[in-house]
Amino acid sequence: MTRNPAAVTVTVKMFDVGELGDCFWLQFATRDQESNVLIDCGSFRNSEKSKTRLNKIAGYIRNQLNDRQLDVVVGTHQHNDHVSGFVHCEKIFTGMVDQTWLSWLDNPRDQLARSIKKDQLNLVDTVSKLQSRLPATSSAGQILKDVLGFYAASGEDEDGGGPELPARGIEILKQLPEKEVRYLSPGDILPLPGMPTDAVRVYVLGPPRNQTLLFDKDPKKTETYDPNLAFANINAKRFLSALENNTSDGSDRAEKQFPFSSTHKKSEAKAHPEMVALYKREPWRMIEDDWMQTASRLALYLDSYTNNSSLVLAFELVKSGKILLFAADAQTGNWLSWDDIKWKGVTGTFSTEALLRNTVLYKVGHHGSHNATLVKALESMEHSELVAMIPVCKTDPNITKKNGWKMPAKNLYKRLKEKTGYRVLRMDDGYADGCDPQKNKGKTKWKSLPYQPRFDEKNFFVEYTVTG
Amino acid sequence: MKSTHRLLRGYSLDPAFSTKLDTATINEITYRVRWESLKRGPRGDYFEVIDYDPASNCYYDPVDLDEKHILAQNGLDPSEGNPAFHQQFVYTIAMTTLEHFEQSLGRKVIWSPRKYDPKYPERNLYVDTIRLYPHAFRDANAYYDPEKKAILFGYFEAVVNPRGASPQGINLPGGVIFTCLSPDIIAHEVTHALLDSIHPRFIENTNPDVPAFHEGFADIVALLQRFTITPLVEHQIAQTRGNLEEYSFLGELATQFGNALQGNRGALRSAIGKFDEKGKWQRYIPDPNDYKTIFEPHARGAILVATIFDAFIRLYNSTTADLLRIATNGTGILQPGAIHPDLVKRLANAACEIAERLLHICIRALDYCPPHDITFGDYLRALITADLDSSPNDMNGYRLALIEAFRSWGIFPDRVNTLSVESLQWSKPDTLTQPEQKLLTYIARFLKDQVRTIVEISTMEVNNRKEIFQQSGEVQRLLHEQLLSKRNGRFTEHQWSSFLKKIGLTNQVQHVHYEDEIITTEKVPKLEVHKVRPVYRVGREGKLVEQVLVTLTQTYVIENGTLQGAKFRGGATLILNMSRNFDVEYIIYKNITSRHRFVDQMDYQQGKTASFVAFNDSMYEEADGFAAINFAHLHFH
Repeated sequence: MTRNPAAVTVTVKMFDVGELGDCFWLQFATRDQESNVLIDCGSFRNSEKSKTRLNKIAGYIRNQLNDRQLDVVVGTHQHNDHVSGFVHCEKIFTGMVDQTWLSWLDNPRDQLARSIKKDQLNLVDTVSKLQSRLPATSSAGQILKDVLGFYAASGEDEDGGGPELPARGIEILKQLPEKEVRYLSPGDILPLPGMPTDAVRVYVLGPPRNQTLLFDKDPKKTETYDPNLAFANINAKRFLSALENNTSDGSDRAEKQFPFSSTHKKSEAKAHPEMVALYKREPWRMIEDDWMQTASRLALYLDSYTNNSSLVLAFELVKSGKILLFAADAQTGNWLSWDDIKWKGVTGTFSTEALLRNTVLYKVGHHGSHNATLVKALESMEHSELVAMIPVCKTDPNITKKNGWKMPAKNLYKRLKEKTGYRVLRMDDGYADGCDPQKNKGKTKWKSLPYQPRFDEKNFFVEYTVTG
Repeated sequence: MKSTHRLLRGYSLDPAFSTKLDTATINEITYRVRWESLKRGPRGDYFEVIDYDPASNCYYDPVDLDEKHILAQNGLDPSEGNPAFHQQFVYTIAMTTLEHFEQSLGRKVIWSPRKYDPKYPERNLYVDTIRLYPHAFRDANAYYDPEKKAILFGYFEAVVNPRGASPQGINLPGGVIFTCLSPDIIAHEVTHALLDSIHPRFIENTNPDVPAFHEGFADIVALLQRFTITPLVEHQIAQTRGNLEEYSFLGELATQFGNALQGNRGALRSAIGKFDEKGKWQRYIPDPNDYKTIFEPHARGAILVATIFDAFIRLYNSTTADLLRIATNGTGILQPGAIHPDLVKRLANAACEIAERLLHICIRALDYCPPHDITFGDYLRALITADLDSSPNDMNGYRLALIEAFRSWGIFPDRVNTLSVESLQWSKPDTLTQPEQKLLTYIARFLKDQVRTIVEISTMEVNNRKEIFQQSGEVQRLLHEQLLSKRNGRFTEHQWSSFLKKIGLTNQVQHVHYEDEIITTEKVPKLEVHKVRPVYRVGREGKLVEQVLVTLTQTYVIENGTLQGAKFRGGATLILNMSRNFDVEYIIYKNITSRHRFVDQMDYQQGKTASFVAFNDSMYEEADGFAAINFAHLHFH
């Protein structure tokens, strides 16, 4: 490594996709070189409105680049709200991408990744079948619909592209560049294409790939890839066969013998009349719907599972040591694995802890949900220039509906403001409340920074620049 | 001749142990369950089994345990493939657990009532039986539903060797696991229902110890109950040559369930130790830091389980030291090889006796807990006080063993200066002024007459729990009336206020400070009388204890500001001694005016402390942070 790396400024544009979704454009610049990185481009729904907005954003980026290419496009994980744009704006992106970065989980030549993907697809498939069988009004049906929305597989949504849509997004990402796709694993450290090799380093934090974690005995540590997924699959199938049995004539032979031989199973007409009467006598004690809660547990499991498969990147501006942390939708399991990463080719005092300590820009995990920022990690972020960006949209129906999602989670939101000195930017509002330098003089510490945020409503973005 | 017991065969461990050569002989035992007349189901006075399986859309025929062929053979053969046996088995273990409770508590168990009409919260509905659904859903779970007054057991398919990498433990790959066949899981869930019947407010998540206590206590009962099964303990003692600190399945809960779920050889929970990453078994070493750093309810509950088990081991070691010396010519060091069968028997008897006594001490202590917001430290004080009352001599050192165990795990009560029996015992009320003393005497006199009726019906052998419930309700109402009218006659506002303070209550509007806010409650919290129950129990020294338990509480709800909707409670358990003219022996209270408790609770419920644990990994934040503990989410793993 050279002794005098070039100073780099990074201009980060957080695009407002009009609903829940992530789309970040990072422009790295030295005095004479430039590198353009796009991290995710997607929104939750696939309506005409969603597509129009994404097309405007992609078109804007294309125009601004003016025939230059995106040096790197990153697809963090296979959820609609992160990759749908690559499907809807495929034409615009064509010819615009020099290189794609994906997580090792998307690597078709990785055997472990393949089997995990297969299990996961099976589960998505079974869960979407479940949804079509469950009454939409039941609480389980509602949760299933929400979760499947991330896969664009929600049956009720007429614009739904089906569970293959986000998968197609990843496929398109693989085909867009001429260069070979790079599949990243935790511990990898890369130079940033388009920058002098020693000016920017990219650290890969997640998703974890620890072979021993796969079959770990301690259930608390196995929030990654493990027999739990296999179990969820079996469970989901049994559940589905029960649902089919309940809604049709039950012709499945395996189902007939489960869990007891069919001679024990008595339909209501053939059951002991006293027991039937007793069961029905007190409606408050009946258990008609309780078994369906299994469906929502499965769906939520699937959801956090996929979020944990997020590709997490930290960009280091070597000269100043400043870090920009992009956590995608990583949930607890992903964050917890960072401590154990064995970094390739680093020496001395370097650690994940140090990465967090030097973080000056934090892209908040999973739209600010309560379990996608590890408390311990946030507490470690102590840099005096820390700024947080939350891609959240307060008018998204998932947030506005009754019992909607809590994004950003109240306590996290509050702590983020405290940690950043009231320098939190939102995709929808620009300044988070309490963080506007005009209205909240004395409270926010924007003034101590060299660059101030910039807002462009016409082109739907919030911009912030880091110097280092 | 009248039958006193019904003999029923069943598993002592999980069904899978019947397929292992070394445990097959001891896994099927005969339980002795108190005799009661039963209807098909089985349905008795306390439990009703209804075997409806909504996922399979079918019923299973109910077993008739009075059928002569079944009676003649001590119940049905243990069998995983026969739902009728499942029904028999949940009933057997549920009743076994209940009997331990009634014996320890010295009164009939009355299930926590059901709220009938939200407009009349006082109007509680009597619940006759807890309903048991052995095949309620398809999932690796089982839970007590406090709304339905039912326990729902799930069943699921064991993982088929995931990618050929890990062993199956003791399960048949792809076999069906029934949670209703695990004695541990049944005892655990029934204990939740029993605990809810004694302390309905222990399901309110007010500090990290509360959900952990529900979990830990349920595991303690399941664990100690297993150590009362003599053949099982004998087998284990023979195998470990009398050393209960070695690895053994006796100290593990729900082994089969744990195996199935994780696709490896691990029990769901273990009280003694666990396998480390390299597959080597390690005994837990008490670490006082755990209590300060572990907050997930099961893991925190496990600290309590390990603590009680620690006390058990201490007692076992000290009680059997002489036996070992006799068997070894005074050296205390055993010769290599198997130990003598007589010694096995004696050691096993000692272990079973200790387990049973400890179990009863643990259950009895529930009556000496504050009515809400329990901490492990409170529970230690309750254990010590309850045992002092029932067995003042403590010849065998039960109390010292408990204190040592709690100390080594770093669990200390608030505001106690030393860890001596005297300072741990709940304090007796000696600072009462004359008018206060008078009021208590008055209450005592009033209760004396009222309680007599309850005592009379309570001692009858027939099932008249509904009558007891109604009578107690009536006495509660009268006491409430008396308390309020008495106050008007005899006390000045100031005196009344100072009296209430001594039992953790108030007669003033509250002004609480929280962060930058000052919150004023709109009304003076209403006084509630929650419980008036006479108890008769016999301690391990044969001493008869006759007491009356009275619970008084107050609640205020915050109407505005950031804490809107938050509830805060205060109140006390009063223990009156019937044989000493209804003197108040203990006032165990949680102060409603306590500022630090208020701030702690609000911080905790708002998720501001490290100890806050969201119960699931979903994107839906726990409703408002004030939710009750949801057993379905929490359970069983």
